[in-house]
Amino acid sequence: MSRPALREFLTGCRDEAPLLLGAVPFGILYGISALAAGVPAWLAQLASAVVFAGAAQLVIVQMLAAGAGMVPTALTSGLLNLRHLLYSASMATYLGHLPRHWRMVLAYLLTDEAYAIAVLRYQARPPAEGPDLRHWYFLGAGFTLWSAWQLSTAFGLVFGAAIPPEWELDFAVPLTFIALLTLLLRERPGQAAALAAGAGALLLAGLPFKLGLVFAIVLGLAAGMWTASRLERVR
Amino acid sequence: MSTPALIGLVFGVGAVTFFFRYAMIGLFASNRLPGWLHALCRHIAPASFAALTASALFIDAGAVSIALDAPKPWAALVAALVAWRSGNVLATIGAGMAALYVLKFFL
Repeated sequence: MSRPALREFLTGCRDEAPLLLGAVPFGILYGISALAAGVPAWLAQLASAVVFAGAAQLVIVQMLAAGAGMVPTALTSGLLNLRHLLYSASMATYLGHLPRHWRMVLAYLLTDEAYAIAVLRYQARPPAEGPDLRHWYFLGAGFTLWSAWQLSTAFGLVFGAAIPPEWELDFAVPLTFIALLTLLLRERPGQAAALAAGAGALLLAGLPFKLGLVFAIVLGLAAGMWTASRLERVR
Repeated sequence: MSTPALIGLVFGVGAVTFFFRYAMIGLFASNRLPGWLHALCRHIAPASFAALTASALFIDAGAVSIALDAPKPWAALVAALVAWRSGNVLATIGAGMAALYVLKFFL
């Protein structure tokens, strides 16, 4: 690593740091609720490295706690990660020139938080002179978030093993969903999607393996798309 | 779910997630995605969170159960109010947990 590359890497680490404040509590919560859902600690930690997607990991844990089957859990968390395809498309122009191993590592590190920081750097301005080292910046941001995610998961697992289940700390997962929902529901189509999915989850509760949740989400997506297209037509 | 099934789930979801992240950067080398996909992705999070929240609050052992003396829906209502007024995730969790403890004591 050359000196300018190191400087770029460290700037990425530094710029990512404020976002850790949002990510670390989720990592801890994930660790606690994974244990409460009966996931072995080593596997919960491994999942943080293999999946490395906060919202999807919380959804998996919540569905396991509800007794969902493998297929509905995989479908729901997979669907929730579909947005990374959009980030991937958005970064493709900037990373296309890099060798394959760089693209694979940066793709692995492409989370909401790393994308938010890296895309700003790429959109700001091309480097005035010298080689383009902004991929080192992305690597620094991604690596910082990755380390914080692994450590906060570990902390949650240790902490979670020490607190009694009567505290019901895993209830913090649906509370987190409520908080995120409130932030997401500023627009009419999103409200329609949430309403339809929520109602669908109750109406389809009788389906086996919690498959009702998957159909409820599809119902919500249809309601959201339909509302958006209706609003479009009114305008 | 058995441990081998859980391992399969983790690696399956991990592979799909990596595919989504790598697809446009590494495989198709393009930044063109259809507009409807952008629109669809906007609704996935609200729909998933709403379905899971409704199910966590009102489904007990596979059946819908709406009871006035159940503490969790009331605690969730308190949390929703705090979320709406403050827009702060940690404050929402704190208020919801505090409400749950108080309600469990009284109900």
